Amino acid sequence: MSTTTTASPTEAKSWGGGKSPFNAEYGKVMMWYFLMSDAFTFGAFLISYGTVRFSTNGWPDPNAVFKSFPFAPEGVNAPLVFVSVMTFILIVSSVTMVLAVQAGKNMDKQGVVRNMILTIIGGIAFLSCQAWEWNHLFHEGAWWGANPFLNADGTASSTNFTNFFFTITGFHGFHVFSGVVINIIMLIMTLMDKFEQRGHYLMIEKAGLYWHFVDLVWVFVFTIFYLL
Amino acid sequence: MSHSHGTPAEQHAAVIAEIKKVTIILSVLTIVELIIGFAMIGMTSDFLRLAAKGTIVILMMAKAFYIVAYFMHLKHEVKNLIMTIVVPLALFIWFIIAFLADGNSYKNLRNKYDRHYQEQATIKVEKKEHGAKHEGTHEVKPADAHEAPASH
Amino acid sequence: MSHEAVLHGHDDHSHEHHDTFLTKYVFSQDHKMIAKQFLITGMVWAVLGGLMSVLFRLQLGYPEASFPWLESLLGKWAKGGQITPEAYYALVTTHGTVLVFFVLTAGLSGTFANFLIPLQIGARDMASPFMNMLSYWFFFAASIVMLSSMFVETGPFSGGWTAYPPLSALGDASPGSKSGMDLWIIAMALFVVSSLLGGLNYIATILNMRTKGMSMTRLPLTIWALFFTAVLGVLSFPVLLSGLILLIFDRNFGTSFYLSDIFVNGVGALSNEGGSAILYQHLFWFLGHPEVYIILLPAMGMVSEIMSINSRKPIFGYMAMLGSLFSIAVLAFLVWAHHMFVTGLNPFLGSVFVLLTLLIAVPSAIKVFNWLTTLWRGNIRFTPAMLFAIGFVSLFISGGLTGIWLGNAALDIHLHDTYFVIAHFHIVMGVASMFGMFAGVYHWFPKMYGRHLNNSLGYIHFWITMAGAYLIFWPMHYEGLAGMPRRYFDFSIWESFKQFAELNRFISTVSMIVFATQLLFLMNFFYSIFKGRRVTTKNPWLANTLEWTTPINPGHGNWPGEIPEVHRWPYDYSKDGVDFIPQDVPVGADETSH
Repeated sequence: MSTTTTASPTEAKSWGGGKSPFNAEYGKVMMWYFLMSDAFTFGAFLISYGTVRFSTNGWPDPNAVFKSFPFAPEGVNAPLVFVSVMTFILIVSSVTMVLAVQAGKNMDKQGVVRNMILTIIGGIAFLSCQAWEWNHLFHEGAWWGANPFLNADGTASSTNFTNFFFTITGFHGFHVFSGVVINIIMLIMTLMDKFEQRGHYLMIEKAGLYWHFVDLVWVFVFTIFYLL
Repeated sequence: MSHSHGTPAEQHAAVIAEIKKVTIILSVLTIVELIIGFAMIGMTSDFLRLAAKGTIVILMMAKAFYIVAYFMHLKHEVKNLIMTIVVPLALFIWFIIAFLADGNSYKNLRNKYDRHYQEQATIKVEKKEHGAKHEGTHEVKPADAHEAPASH
Repeated sequence: MSHEAVLHGHDDHSHEHHDTFLTKYVFSQDHKMIAKQFLITGMVWAVLGGLMSVLFRLQLGYPEASFPWLESLLGKWAKGGQITPEAYYALVTTHGTVLVFFVLTAGLSGTFANFLIPLQIGARDMASPFMNMLSYWFFFAASIVMLSSMFVETGPFSGGWTAYPPLSALGDASPGSKSGMDLWIIAMALFVVSSLLGGLNYIATILNMRTKGMSMTRLPLTIWALFFTAVLGVLSFPVLLSGLILLIFDRNFGTSFYLSDIFVNGVGALSNEGGSAILYQHLFWFLGHPEVYIILLPAMGMVSEIMSINSRKPIFGYMAMLGSLFSIAVLAFLVWAHHMFVTGLNPFLGSVFVLLTLLIAVPSAIKVFNWLTTLWRGNIRFTPAMLFAIGFVSLFISGGLTGIWLGNAALDIHLHDTYFVIAHFHIVMGVASMFGMFAGVYHWFPKMYGRHLNNSLGYIHFWITMAGAYLIFWPMHYEGLAGMPRRYFDFSIWESFKQFAELNRFISTVSMIVFATQLLFLMNFFYSIFKGRRVTTKNPWLANTLEWTTPINPGHGNWPGEIPEVHRWPYDYSKDGVDFIPQDVPVGADETSH
């Protein structure tokens, strides 16, 4: 058995020590692994939701629950409209984040500032939408431990529908909130020329990874709670 | 960086073009999801509902792929990094299968051995007046739910 | 673009800043000091946890006797000199939580990952020394919260270390379910944060910071084991965090994630419905099973290393060792429900889990055979570290074999929740990992403190602990086979268990002797820090790995000059007639390849 021979010259070069096998600084490697572990946090929540839903006889129809939007007349029936708006807000803020990262790679401070501001606005807009929706549902009688909605077949529904909804969207909202805070810090650091002095915008890249992850989680939350 | 050809300006243009492309793909996927979601309203056939849900899950995975691969830039990273991130995620397969299978089994077991539980699932309830507020925690529960489960 | 500068910038830090007491011993960012902090905090917990086990063994061995000194020690928890049932359950629960998480997770991998990773891969420090420091302080905060839970009016949580609902979810279920449980959850949440900060750091360091020439297949097996440990922790602890968050909602916000159909005498039916207690068990054991390997893998890695050094032979089957570590790490995530065969799990699903569980026997056996063949015809030096390493293998075999019994769902119907289970997991995971930890401490103490531990005390420590471990846990197999259930306060009222009164008394006596022997080890440890025999050469064990190329007392930054370059794997012992060839020695022109 030999440990001195390695499979191919390129592999030996990348794994041979003295440099990163990923051509990435340690902070980025850590961020990726943190996101993986966070994926398991959200995964555990969503899988728990699935497990409870699979073990319950009936479940409310999401279209009968999430059917209103701000400034709409009482009793309007517009399922999926508001949540689509929220989804597009988050996707667009993700796009501006990519543009900010790209501007950072080109050392384009103005581009970074402009796109970071747009991303922050997107994040705040999403949080406002969520706040409105929570408030609306609360006034319909929904909260942790209280579920005014009936199952799709008209039978009594378990409170776990609202329990999981508020816990998981709340946890996601908390992530959006911390993402906005991180982005604001990044914006301030950019404005203070911190990254110009360092000669690179790698911090923006890491903040970007986190922000896209938040968007990624919303893809799953949106699908699982509102569509399935 | 990984977009290795051309001058910096050309590379930049290529990246911007890619971002535009992915944005359009993500929007289209979301719109298709929403169309299926609307189509599902009032759909009665169990098979069709299941097919629609399956399609939505596939579209969801496609969206996740585009976000991770292009926005999070993973597709343009070194292969080593891609593998160390994608391979551990395979653990989710058994994680999901085992949890959901056991959830389903729990439902079946309860319906079989706990007749009270099963009966609860067949009693229709009057829709509460809109705007019912937070007096108690379990407003829609039928009264007899608070009796001891006597029907074992 | 200055990407390259960033990639390597970390090495260039100057380490000549002035250290105050606070920055050197308390808020230190030096990985070696953080390792010592983890080790000593772990030792404090080990003493407390061990003391708890002695106290509840006292109750099990002498259920009718009363000890007035107990009342002065425990106050109202031992009224009249007898431990109350509430106190008994609190002791059992805290013993489990503390030993599993605080001693054998933080104390073991916290100590040795911090200490060995930079030294053995050739790095100045961890990737992020600051996060490393935070990792310790989160652990410290978790320790304080857990400790404080023992002093609340209603006592610490007492529903078992697994914290199953409804005992953990209903505040009125037992005295310990009140604020003791809240503090338990907070402590565990802080612990999860600590282990994430640590784990991310270990992974990034091992992948990114290896010195020139240190390819992945030249890493010592210790590092590989610590790497898989970190990966397991990073991927499984978040699931526990999610489970605990849902538990907090059940306790405080009226949800029913884990609660359903509960009828309490005198209260009536609770309003919770729709939840599933099995869900919590799934979430807990999705962490809980990898956690077993988080505890075991570092010990395996260190044992491999120590065995090879002290047999003066290359480790047998390096790649097979790697492969088995990898497959154990993967299987660890696929087998969690074998802890739940009798909770109402789907029997078919259970049989799939049986298959996956029994598969673990394969890599485990590969490891055992490789250890034995490493010893085979070796030139063995029986240092205390080596003895503990051999003891580890012995315990791993005898505890692992009973694991094959318990992994069968059919046998588990009879054996679950009996002393058979206690015997199994204490031998294979508890005592074995403890042996790995002892081996590590005896072996690396000279590097940590520049002094030797006393060898004679080490031999006494080993032989009493080794004999004691078997004398305590071997008889429990028979008790378990006879159906004696675990977690019972008093067996004297059952006719069928009266036959074990004598045996229980014996086990309790031995456990006290073994506990006293550990105090001997602690004395040896703290005495030797200050008064032990000084290490006179850089490389007292004549070992190959990089940590022995540093000065006897390395400063922050480890190597005063350049970091050595690595030219070979770490197991060139007795090669071509040379006793040992350190990793930084270039390969000679006429050297045979191993």
